[in-house]
Amino acid sequence: MGLLEWVLELLLSPQVFAPVVFPGLVTALVVLLTIIWAERKIAARVQMRVGPLYVTRRFGGVLQMLADGTRYMFQEFIIPETSDKGFFVFAPVLALAAAILPFAFIPAAPGFAPVKHPLAALGVLASLSAAPLAVLLMGWSSGNKFAIQGAVREAFMTLAYEAVVFLSVLAMGMLYGTLDLEEAVYRQVIPGLLLNPISAFTFFVGMVMSAGRLPFDIVEGEQEIVAGPYVEYSGIVFGIGMGLAYLKLYAFSLLFSILYLSGWEPLLPIYSVYPPLGGLMLFVKAYAVMLFVAFLRSVYGRYRLDQALRAGWRIFLPLALASVMFSAFVKVVVYG
Amino acid sequence: MGNLVRSFVGHVRAVATGLRYLLLPNRMTVYYPEKLIELPEGYRGLIRYYPELCVQCGLCAMVCPAGAMKMYVKKGEKRGRPGVNYQRCIFCGFCADICPQNALEMTKVHDVAYEKLEDMILSPEEFAREVRSPALEEGAVKVKVIFSEERGLVHEPA
Ligand code: SF4
Ligand code: SF4
Repeated sequence: MGLLEWVLELLLSPQVFAPVVFPGLVTALVVLLTIIWAERKIAARVQMRVGPLYVTRRFGGVLQMLADGTRYMFQEFIIPETSDKGFFVFAPVLALAAAILPFAFIPAAPGFAPVKHPLAALGVLASLSAAPLAVLLMGWSSGNKFAIQGAVREAFMTLAYEAVVFLSVLAMGMLYGTLDLEEAVYRQVIPGLLLNPISAFTFFVGMVMSAGRLPFDIVEGEQEIVAGPYVEYSGIVFGIGMGLAYLKLYAFSLLFSILYLSGWEPLLPIYSVYPPLGGLMLFVKAYAVMLFVAFLRSVYGRYRLDQALRAGWRIFLPLALASVMFSAFVKVVVYG
Repeated sequence: MGNLVRSFVGHVRAVATGLRYLLLPNRMTVYYPEKLIELPEGYRGLIRYYPELCVQCGLCAMVCPAGAMKMYVKKGEKRGRPGVNYQRCIFCGFCADICPQNALEMTKVHDVAYEKLEDMILSPEEFAREVRSPALEEGAVKVKVIFSEERGLVHEPA
């Protein structure tokens, strides 16, 4: 076997292809660039405006984010005098790593997951819930009052949504009798959204909270605490902080599509050419979910921290518990 | 419980309203500088000075509440001619109103940008030049605003 073939095989193996190309890094980057543009365009449409336009005017300004990214790249990265310098530099790296980790557990197509494990769903959630710790570190090491406020808000919010998300997934795990994501797709006779709408709803809200999208962008609170934990970051690292929320949203949307929208079904016939291509359907669904979350921005204002916490603990936690019970009921009726 | 149901319905309706706007957008933005809204009669934009009409009475400089209008007296002459400082001008139009000769005119141009602060202080000679809108110079299309019952504001080519 030649070197070239070996490299090619390595590149196309699920362990490399899935986290690096699809649905991992490269796709995530494209998603990041287009979803931010789409979010701005959608908000503009609803608010009777035009939105980004002049960068590549013919395509509605789709390359705007690339232009912004390039600008971030050439901006100076300032390390404040009062910050805890080591942690200040290290925390964003940690946050990014934690946000990319979930892709190791998300299958792109049948039999095409980097890490196939009976507890893959838990793996995704566990690595996703590691990101807030890094954000906490970012805020804390900045040595800025807004950053610390943002960090504390992040800690509060994490408490509010984490239990909700885990319980919702538990409900689906009970229903399907497995936490293996691939297996979960096979067990959906009809989409999970219809099997257990309560769980889908609570998971969706938890996901919006976790990704810090409106109406729960309390951590960033642009108008109150000017980007919160990211306030001292500049240049490309600020870009990373901005991308972080979208990366989380992307991972969550993939998980949502797998658990509630029957993943890559119907499987496209190009699956036989190269497996991950069959996962295109999964990508389309996840993207649609993301677009919907982005659309919410134009409908809602921001909740106050206490309102979000109250909603999390008093409404969504009981709802999530109810969804677990509902799952038990559906399991008896549907799966016998 | 009834409260929760009501608020859930409220959320659904809010999202539905948003979706309606998303699918049937009602854009009100004017694509400046490709389009330019035609301004109403009596609009108070930049001021134009007609030296041939001026009798150099100095009333304009005297009435100016912002101290923007100033008389510039040339060497050898007794009376001056007005120049304006747009850093100060509040576009109240008093100068144009008080002028006995109608030598000052409020034009409809308002979209001029200056590179330096000093450029905003116009001497009588500069003040006498025609005021031009850079957008119109580059071929902007004029549109007029029409109020419509369903859509709010509509822009039509003037
Ligand atoms: S418009 Fe008003 S403020 Fe401006 S120069 Fe005339 S009098 Fe002064
Ligand atoms: S008020 Fe009119 S006539 Fe008198 S100085 Fe001013 S511009 Fe000239």
